Amino acid sequence: MTTRTTPGQAALAAPRPAPACSAGRTATVAAARQVRRGTAIVAAVCGGMTALVVSQYRGLDGALGAESLAALAENLAIRTLFGPPVGLDDPGGFAVWRTGTVLAVLVGVWAALTATGLTRGEEEAGRVDLLLAGRLGLRSLTVRILVAVLAASVMVGAAGGLGLVLAGASTTGSVLFGAGLAGTGMVGAAVGVLAAQLFTDRRSASGLAVAVVLGGVLARMVADGVPALAWLAWLSPLGVLGRTAPFVDDRAALLLVLAVLVAVPAVAAVVLAADRDVGSGRIAGRRRRTAHSRLLRSLPGLAVHRIRRPTISWAAGLMSYFLLIGLLATSMTDFLRDNPSFAELAAQAGFARLGSVEGYVSALYTLLAVPIGAFAAVRIEALAADEAAGRLALLYGLPVGRVRWAATEAATVAAACVLLAAAAGAATWAGTLWVDAGLGLADALAGALGVVPVALLCLGAALGALGWARSAVLPLGVLPAAGGYLLLVLADTFGWPAAVRWWSPFAHLAAVPAEPWHPAGAVGMLAAAGLLAVVGCRRYSRRDLTA
Amino acid sequence: MATPTSSVPALRAVGLSKRFGTTDAVVDLSLTVAPGEVFGFLGPNGAGKSTTIRMALGLLRPTTGTVEVFGVAAADVERAHRQLAYVPADVALWPSLTGQECLDLLAGVGPGTDLGYRAELVERFALDPDRRARTYSTGNRQKVALVAAFATRASLLVLDEPTSGLDPLMEREFRACIAEAAARGQAVFLSSHQLAEVEAVCSRVGILRSGRLVEVAGLAALRRLHRAEVVADLAAPAPTLQGLAELPGVTDLRWPSPVRVELSLTGPPGPVLRALADADVAHLEVREPSLEEIFLDYYGQAGA
Repeated sequence: MTTRTTPGQAALAAPRPAPACSAGRTATVAAARQVRRGTAIVAAVCGGMTALVVSQYRGLDGALGAESLAALAENLAIRTLFGPPVGLDDPGGFAVWRTGTVLAVLVGVWAALTATGLTRGEEEAGRVDLLLAGRLGLRSLTVRILVAVLAASVMVGAAGGLGLVLAGASTTGSVLFGAGLAGTGMVGAAVGVLAAQLFTDRRSASGLAVAVVLGGVLARMVADGVPALAWLAWLSPLGVLGRTAPFVDDRAALLLVLAVLVAVPAVAAVVLAADRDVGSGRIAGRRRRTAHSRLLRSLPGLAVHRIRRPTISWAAGLMSYFLLIGLLATSMTDFLRDNPSFAELAAQAGFARLGSVEGYVSALYTLLAVPIGAFAAVRIEALAADEAAGRLALLYGLPVGRVRWAATEAATVAAACVLLAAAAGAATWAGTLWVDAGLGLADALAGALGVVPVALLCLGAALGALGWARSAVLPLGVLPAAGGYLLLVLADTFGWPAAVRWWSPFAHLAAVPAEPWHPAGAVGMLAAAGLLAVVGCRRYSRRDLTA
Repeated sequence: MATPTSSVPALRAVGLSKRFGTTDAVVDLSLTVAPGEVFGFLGPNGAGKSTTIRMALGLLRPTTGTVEVFGVAAADVERAHRQLAYVPADVALWPSLTGQECLDLLAGVGPGTDLGYRAELVERFALDPDRRARTYSTGNRQKVALVAAFATRASLLVLDEPTSGLDPLMEREFRACIAEAAARGQAVFLSSHQLAEVEAVCSRVGILRSGRLVEVAGLAALRRLHRAEVVADLAAPAPTLQGLAELPGVTDLRWPSPVRVELSLTGPPGPVLRALADADVAHLEVREPSLEEIFLDYYGQAGA
């Protein structure tokens, strides 16, 4: 401002208020505000889980003998999912092996979804326009959000490490594991922000980011199972986390690899955010389409149209995973055959026929219930999201009862769950056929379809939540599968009472095809699913529809 | 589709209330819309217009009271909505569907659509139906919902601020569509902020303030109930007119000059006209209040 001003200039210059703080800082605070609740929950889960497992291990004070540990470790399902068992004689090492993969996937997926939600989700909802009308540019906003989500991942990783330390594990290993967990989250966050620059809609961006995180799990599995492809582990945050070997070798230098895995997508995201249009991604979808879908003329048609693409994507993911399971079948069963002492221990621990391909696939099929259950919950969550976005006002302005639409959607989702299970079964069979493991197609399908009741329980729980707690459809819907699996694993590890174990749906699931199908368990779960669905739909039809 | 039974009201609310937590959004609202009637529903932001409409559609459950569409309880949407078409205040479409797919879906699931008329409406509203809903502006999304609703020939059209995103050309088209709907015997329940629009198309209006219906009347009756501005130019000063101030309904009497008198008049004009008849009136102007003035009468001073 000059000292000499004309009256007109003075009027313009004088009343201009000084900004309270910088625009960038305000944006960072806003982003932090949006992630804090999720961060607190995920941090509590990470810290709580690691602390629980360490303290339980110490409480047993050697009662959980090396033999039963080895038997658990050689349960092929657990081995394939959790990685090779190392350092099981150390409470920290045991906790890392037992919870590491699950927590890393949880943190990675959460960070990816949070990142796409804060970037592409906010942009799609049009809220970013208002923000960018201020002094902040798109790239600068993207950097701020990226930093907030990366910082949230660090806090979650720190919570995981802190849980280990507080429960009495050694500090070096705990810090290393915490850093690895944080790094996995940071990769998810950076990939999420990158995917948000590529796609115009949040669902595609989230889908890509989650696929990359889960692809990391697959890469680690391949790297662990196929020596020639061991290098794949370096491309996966989970693989690198495993290679750092907390509590065993404590190779801290490998965290630099993790840093590279974070930096590459983060830099790419910031570069791509530089000069793109707000509201559209780098991969712009078609704006016009003259071929209109003929499905969209009835409610069932709409339901099928909505679920078609997600089903195909989820099926592709599940099929690649279970194809790999099938391909690894002989190497895993051969291992047990060559080490009869392990097989004997496994049999003592209750894993009958583990050395057979049927035993192997049936143990892994139990895992299938988790993604299919999550699929069901995600689809009902999409219905809840339609309500929140006001998209149902037009539909419910037509002669369409809420129960009819919810039931149409639920029936389509149930059918898609069966389809996904069958696809996974067929992929497993194809894999075993390739390596000549001798698994029949009927057995492969029966085993995969056997987990459908658990997925339908998730569907029922999600519908119940739709009626009573719309904002919690996803967590409550996933609970029977993810929570139930966790409950069973913990109950089996630490010998919790049968009354606790009973609450896991997996306690009522037979290991098909190793064991005959258990109709009572399936019928019980279907009845519970039906009850939850009916109660939820009744409430849904009577509550206020909110936007 | 004509009105099914003319004796049954198109829309009837009795003692309708809605409470959100500790907030009374709508309080004891009773009104009736006759078949074929174009009813304007006025009120400032937050007065409870959308809440009332959402209760009439069965999207919200009334805390107390009932609302019926052609005698069918609003909660029974499968039956009630066979005679109704709705345009929400904020039209949200599935972003990946094209406009045409949205129209096809609404027609396929809706109460029956005149496809020929719909094609004509798409032209008239200059809607590009091949674009994905994601790329539509607010106004274009509104056009999709309006085209779908007007093409249904449902006996009752419920329109919640349907023109807030339309340009003046499209607004003119909208008014023409309302007139066509009225000519076909369709009842229209139009919630709006645009007083000129309501004045142009509605025969009766209801005015909502803080969740309470403060007035329901025909537009003409509403004007009669409110002050008219009377201006009389006199050929010569008339001292007898000093008594005007005592006449019933006269307020705000002004004498800008000895030969010009201005006053505001509420109620029947007979006594004032009789008094003026005794004077030598050269020019008389009686101006009815605009809906805007009436609206401001209700809200301006009340500060609602």
